Amino acid sequence: MASVDEKQGHGRVLEFDKVTKSFAKTDSNEITHALAEVNLTIQPGEFVSIVGTSGCGKSTILRLIAGLIRPTTGEIRLGGKPIVGAGPDRGMVFQKATLFPWLTVEKNVSFSLRMQKKQDKELVEHMLKMVGLEDFRKDYPHQLSGGMAQRVALVRSLINHPDILLLDEPLGALDAFTRMNMQDEILNIWREQKQTVVMVTHDVEEAIYMGTRVLVMEPRPGRVKADIPIELAEPKQRDSEEFQAYRNRILKMLDLKHHTDH
Amino acid sequence: MESKRQLTREELLEMESAPKTKMQHMLDVVICFCPYFAAIIMFLVYYLMPDAVQNFNPHVFTIVVCFFLALYLIMVVRGLLNKSYFAKVRHKAPLYSVIILVIMLYDFLTVKTAILKQPFFPCVNTVLCAIIDDRALLLKSTLYSLRLLFTGYFIGAILGLITGVACGYSKRINYWVSPIIKMLGPIPSTTWIPIIMVLVSSLFKGSVFIIALGVWFALTIASSTGIQNVDKAYLEAARTLGAKGHQLVFRVAIPHAMPNILQGMTQGMSSACTALLVAEMMGAEAGLGWYIQWQKSWAIYSKMYAAIVLICLIFTAVTFILNVIKRIVLRWQEGVVK
Repeated sequence: MASVDEKQGHGRVLEFDKVTKSFAKTDSNEITHALAEVNLTIQPGEFVSIVGTSGCGKSTILRLIAGLIRPTTGEIRLGGKPIVGAGPDRGMVFQKATLFPWLTVEKNVSFSLRMQKKQDKELVEHMLKMVGLEDFRKDYPHQLSGGMAQRVALVRSLINHPDILLLDEPLGALDAFTRMNMQDEILNIWREQKQTVVMVTHDVEEAIYMGTRVLVMEPRPGRVKADIPIELAEPKQRDSEEFQAYRNRILKMLDLKHHTDH
Repeated sequence: MESKRQLTREELLEMESAPKTKMQHMLDVVICFCPYFAAIIMFLVYYLMPDAVQNFNPHVFTIVVCFFLALYLIMVVRGLLNKSYFAKVRHKAPLYSVIILVIMLYDFLTVKTAILKQPFFPCVNTVLCAIIDDRALLLKSTLYSLRLLFTGYFIGAILGLITGVACGYSKRINYWVSPIIKMLGPIPSTTWIPIIMVLVSSLFKGSVFIIALGVWFALTIASSTGIQNVDKAYLEAARTLGAKGHQLVFRVAIPHAMPNILQGMTQGMSSACTALLVAEMMGAEAGLGWYIQWQKSWAIYSKMYAAIVLICLIFTAVTFILNVIKRIVLRWQEGVVK
């Protein structure tokens, strides 16, 4: 049910127009307001990081863009057309790799092609090479390490050349080394393919390092507290003073002052 | 990047285990020959001890045992040449030895001393002779039973899969079907035999129905639970990758439910085997169940046992085949691929 035509390619604006989202709890009549009114415009090619404490509606924003859930009120538009349902033009990578355990690496990567009754062996090959996993094409997901699984999940979404890549704490479960490597890998792919990326993360440093723009969110009800463009020279230096200034500013907003001095 | 493993599992185990002394290795070899020592003792008892009841054609037993001993010899020779295979032979040797000793004990209790009441407990040789004597009728009965078993099993399995998937997929279908399953499910399908035999025109059809019913229950329950328990994360991931409607069912839910479905197929097979025998013993006019009843009525116990041995072999083979299918289909599961 992709509401937008894939052939238009990259370069469509994503707009949140007075979007709210509430959930009804299953065990009681209580209603949780996950998102208070969100107004947001994301230009094509931006890399937007979303940070915030848990329960501030970060993931809800991603799931709304993906079309997995619908807004309670308001409208989300991609290139002027409202988003209805999930579609391969908006790829999503979850914290857990969610690779299909019954399919080999290769078949996982080509899954969405097959869903659209397409076949392109070279493209699959290209995708596997992009993340250096061509030797593992016949392996099953349980044979992969966490970082490898997440790489497969990444190219599994990228194979559709999505307009928007949604990353829901994709590196959250990885160790520090794999994590830093993959940050650069994702950045390289983004620089090359220039799709819009919206990434949710717990890690403020990661948000600044990767994003061209950081949204700081606040909980109860979830809303955007600050929208900070990151103006740092590429490649960003984590230990530069400007970088640290951004970091301290965001941590302060998150009310984590006591953590700023180490 | 992690390198692909080149060592086999056996090589690794051997590298890591403490080195074996010459004595230990010698002992392992001796244990591999234990079935032969057991066989020698068994033959000594079999030929030297006087029979309490008459035992016709005593050499049939010897030939059959020697045939299996020869097969085992091939295993031993292969084991001596191939290290990893040797471990397998060494693993099986004690079991085979004990089987031979149990046979010896059984013969001792029957043909040698008649401690077990004769002729209700025929000795192994008599049962083997019965299988050979009556092979034509036994073969016919076996084929008849197999035809019945598989007809019922496949009809039940296919219908069960369809109902189960439908129940897992649609809440409305589940609303109507699950009460039926809940009420009738716990009743063994063989309970219906008396009614079915009255209602249905042919005994074959009736038996097929009874067998299929049990399999249908097992598979409906297994596949609907499997599909209802599909991890939502996989369905969401599939949706963002462009899967919709029936693709979510056939490409995500069913593969995900495959372990449950195969579990249901195994359970269904055991219920089918029970139903088969009960149905054949109660009403059928052919098949191994019928054969057992018929021979019993003539008090030919050796032939009765012959049929029981065949049933045992068939069910073992069927279970083995199901396990092979399981291993192939579920090769993606952790622990299945070595």
